[in-house]
Amino acid sequence: MYGRKVKLRFFFVLLILITLILSVYLILKSLEENVVYFQSPTEIKILPEIEKKKIRVGGMVKNNSLSMGAKEIKFIITDFKNEINVIYSGLVPNLFTEGKGVVAEGYLKDKNFFLATKILAKHDENYMPPEVKAALEEK
Amino acid sequence: MASLIGFYSLIFGLCLSFIIIFYSVRNFKDSMVFDNKIIFSTFLQFFFVIVSFLGLILSFVYSDFSNETVFNNSHTTKPLFYKISGTWGNHEGSLLLWLLVLTLFIFLFLIKSKDQSKKYRILTLLFQQVIIMGFFIFLIKTSNPFNYIFPIPKEGLGLNPILQDPALAIHPPILYLGYVGSSIIFSSTLAATSLNYISKEWAKHLKQWVLISWIFLTLGILLGSVWAYYELGWGGFWFWDPVENVSLMPWLALTTLLHCILVLEKRLTLTSWVVILSISTFTLSMCGTFLVRSGILNSIHTFANDPERGLFILIFLFCLIFLSLFIFFFFHKNNDKNVDSFFWLSKETSILVNNWFMMYFLSVVLIGTVYPIFLEVISSEKISVGPPFYNKLIIPFLIPFLLAMAIGPKLKWIKSDLQDKKYLILFFIISFLLSIFIIKILNINFLLNTILVTSAFYLFFITLRDFFTKKFKNLSQNISHFGFSLLILSILFNNIFSNEIITNLKVGETFQSEKFKINFENIEKRNDQNFLAIIGKLKIESLNGNIETLRPEIRIYNQPNITTSEADIKTNLLTDKFMTMNFIQNQDYFNIRYQVKPFMIWIWFSVLIISFGGLLSLLQKRYEN
Amino acid sequence: MRIKILPLFLVISFLFIFFIFFKGLQNSNIYSPDINNEKDIPFFETKILNTNDKVNSKEIFISDKFYLLNVWASWCIPCKDEHPYLMDLSVQNNIEIIGLNYKDNDKNAKNFLKNMDNPYKVIFLDKDGTIAIEWGAYGVPESFLIYNKRVIKKIIGPLNKNSYSEIINLIK
Repeated sequence: MYGRKVKLRFFFVLLILITLILSVYLILKSLEENVVYFQSPTEIKILPEIEKKKIRVGGMVKNNSLSMGAKEIKFIITDFKNEINVIYSGLVPNLFTEGKGVVAEGYLKDKNFFLATKILAKHDENYMPPEVKAALEEK
Repeated sequence: MASLIGFYSLIFGLCLSFIIIFYSVRNFKDSMVFDNKIIFSTFLQFFFVIVSFLGLILSFVYSDFSNETVFNNSHTTKPLFYKISGTWGNHEGSLLLWLLVLTLFIFLFLIKSKDQSKKYRILTLLFQQVIIMGFFIFLIKTSNPFNYIFPIPKEGLGLNPILQDPALAIHPPILYLGYVGSSIIFSSTLAATSLNYISKEWAKHLKQWVLISWIFLTLGILLGSVWAYYELGWGGFWFWDPVENVSLMPWLALTTLLHCILVLEKRLTLTSWVVILSISTFTLSMCGTFLVRSGILNSIHTFANDPERGLFILIFLFCLIFLSLFIFFFFHKNNDKNVDSFFWLSKETSILVNNWFMMYFLSVVLIGTVYPIFLEVISSEKISVGPPFYNKLIIPFLIPFLLAMAIGPKLKWIKSDLQDKKYLILFFIISFLLSIFIIKILNINFLLNTILVTSAFYLFFITLRDFFTKKFKNLSQNISHFGFSLLILSILFNNIFSNEIITNLKVGETFQSEKFKINFENIEKRNDQNFLAIIGKLKIESLNGNIETLRPEIRIYNQPNITTSEADIKTNLLTDKFMTMNFIQNQDYFNIRYQVKPFMIWIWFSVLIISFGGLLSLLQKRYEN
Repeated sequence: MRIKILPLFLVISFLFIFFIFFKGLQNSNIYSPDINNEKDIPFFETKILNTNDKVNSKEIFISDKFYLLNVWASWCIPCKDEHPYLMDLSVQNNIEIIGLNYKDNDKNAKNFLKNMDNPYKVIFLDKDGTIAIEWGAYGVPESFLIYNKRVIKKIIGPLNKNSYSEIINLIK
C-alpha cells in the first residue's frame, strides 16, 4: 500500500489536473462564443446565410452617403467593390467622417443592411484599421 | 547641441556597461570585498543616461526640429508642459525613459543591498547589465531619439492631441517605474537562484523591491484608466483593450508574487513559485512592451510603428526567457524544507488558493489578448475578443476569490482552526441581507450580482471590523484588502446603476427621456493656444427638478489636425455626470452622450487605498530596520 | 524523467510562441501605404488652390500625355530643394505637372509659389491628407509619374539629378 503522503500527493496532482482541464475548457468555450469576426462588405455579399452573431464590418465611409438624424446615423461602408448600408445610433468617435476608414460592430439584418451597435475609434489620423487595410488590398 | 550631447552620453553609457561588466567579473572571482569602482561606474552610467534624457527634454523645450523625434512629436505652439511630457509620449523617448529607470534602479539596488553577500550583488548587477545593454543597443540601433534631419524643418508635426492630457503626461513614467522595477526582481531572483542564495533574509530584502514596483504599477494603471475615462470620452474606465491588458498581466503576476514572498519570508516555502513569478512578471512587462510597440496587436491605442523594432524586442525577450529557463532548471534546487508540512486549513493554503486564482485570471487575460494574433497567423482569420469574454470568465470566480480574501488573513501559519466562527458567519448573513435589500429596492433581479455584492460586502465588513479590533499587526494588508473590496463594490454599483443617453441634437433642440430633459442651449467658439474649442451648453433637468448645466467641448487641434472631444464631468461623492459631444463634418446634428455614473470617484479612491496599503508595508519595513 | 520532459516541453512551447509572434510581425497590422506601381490611379474629388473650384481628377488625367503628380507643402523644406527640377520639367512639352498640396494652409502655399515660381498646371488641395494616403504616398515630397491613367514610376522624397534624368528618359 502507498503511504498517506503519497496518496495525498496523488490526490492533489489529480485535483490540479482536473482544475486545469476544466479551466482550459471553459476559456476555450467562451472564446468561441465571444469572438467577433471581421468581415468586409464583399465577404458579406458571398455569405451563404445570415447569422445572428455579432460581427465587425470595415471599410471606407462612402463619400456623400452620410446622413444624420435625431435618432440615427446612416451611412454606407464600401470596400470599393461592394457596399453595405449601415444604420447606427450611438456614440460617434472623433475621427469618423466621410472618406475615412471605419470599423462598425453589430448585427446583419440582411446582406445589404447592417445594424451597428458600436463604431470603433482610432487615435491616429493616418492609422487605418488593419482589417480595412487588408480588405482594401484585396481589391 | 543638446541632441548631440544626448547622443554621445548614450554611447558613453553603453561603453560603461562593458566597463562595469569587466570590473564585476574581476571582482566576482578575486577579492572578498565589494569593489567600489563598480558602484561608481554604475552611478556614472546612470548619470550619462540622465544627461541624455535631459538633452532630449531640452530639445523638446527649445523645439529643436533638427532632431527627428522632436520634429515628429512636437510643435512650437504646444504648451510648455506638453512639450516636456512629449519627451516620453513617443516611442524613442519612452525607451530612453525605460533605460533611465533601469540604470536608476540598479544604482539604488547596489546602495541599498550592502548587507547582502558580495557574489549575489555582483551577479544581480551582471544580469541587470545584460538587460541594460539590450536596451542601449535597441535604442541606438533601431530607435535613436537623436536622429539628425537636414534640412532643418521650420515646424514640427505635433503631438497627437489625445496624448495632451495631464494624467497621460505622468502615466508613462509611473508605469515604467513599475515595469522596470520588476527587472530588478528578475535579475536578483536569477542571481539568487544560481547562487542558491534563497533564504528568509533574501525574501525580506526582495520584498521591498516587489512592493516598490507593485505600488508604481498599481498607480500607473490607475492613471491610464483615469486618462481613458476623462479623455477618450467613452465614459468607462476599463475596456479590456489589449493595451490595457498588457499592463494588467504583470500586475496580476506581481500581486501574486507579493503574496508568495510573504510566505517565503515567514516559512521558507513556495520558493519555486517565487522564482517563476519573478521571471514571469518581468517577462510579461517586456512582452507588453513588445506587443504595444511592434504594432502586432490590433488595439485602439495602436500607433503606426516599425516592424524592425518589434523583431529586436522579440528576439531579446526570448533570449531572456531562455536564459531564465536555463537557470531555473539547472540551478534551482527546491529546498522547501516545510513542503507538505502544512495543514489544509492554514495561511499557506489560502495563499496558494489565492495564487491559483490569480494564475487563472492571468491566463484568461493572456489568452484573450494573444489569441487573435495566433488565430491570424494560423488561419488568417481576423477576430477580436471583446469584454463579454473577460466578464464571463472572471466575474463568477471573483466570488470565491473575495471570500478567500476575507477569511485567509484570519488563518494562522502551518495549522489553523477558524476562531470566532460566529462573527464570520454573522457578517456573512448581514452582507447577504444587505445586498438582497439593495438589489430588491432597485428592482434589479440578478442572481450573480446578488452573490457578488454579498461577497464584496463580506470582505468589506470583515476588513472594516479589523480596523477597530486588531492591533496594528497586519494593518497594511488589511488596508489593501479593504481597498480591494471597496473597488469591487464601486465597480459593481457603477455597472448596475449607470444610466446613459446617446442622442443627436441640433442647437436649440430638446431631448426628453423618462428620466431627464436635455436642452441644447447654444454653442460658442474659443481660440486657445493650439486648438479651437467649440463649447456646447446643455441644460439637464432631471425628474425631481434638479437643473445642471454641462459644457462639453470639441477641440480642433491645429497640428496635427485632429478633433477630440473633451468631456464635461460634474463629480461629487456619489455620482459623476458625464457628457461628451461630437460632430461629423457637414452635418447639423451634434452627437451627444450623457451618462450618470455612480461611485466613479470611489473607484479611483479605492485603488489609491490599495496602493497606500503597499506603501505602508514598505515604510513599516524601513521602520523595523 | 519528469524533470527532463518539462523543460523540453517548455522550450518547445516557447519556441512555438516565438514563431507565431515572428510570423505575426511579418503580416504586421501596421498600415503603410502601398507602392502603387503599375496600378490604375485612384481618382478623387477635391478643390483647386487659387480658384477653390471643385474638380474631379478624372477631368485632369485625361489626355495621353505624361503627368507628374507631386505631393508638396509649403512647410516642407525638402520641397524647396526639388523645386528647380520641377521648374525644368514644367517647360518640357509632353509632361504636365500636377500639384497635390498636402495638409497645408492656402495662404502659405500661395506665398511659397509666389516666392519660388509655379511649376504646376493645377494644384489640388489635400487638407486632411486622405488623397495622399489613397495614392500610397509615404510623405512629403513625393512624386508619381503617370501615363495612360497608370502610375509608372514613384519617386519617394525630393527629386534629384538621377530621378530627374530618369523621368526625362521615360517621357522621351
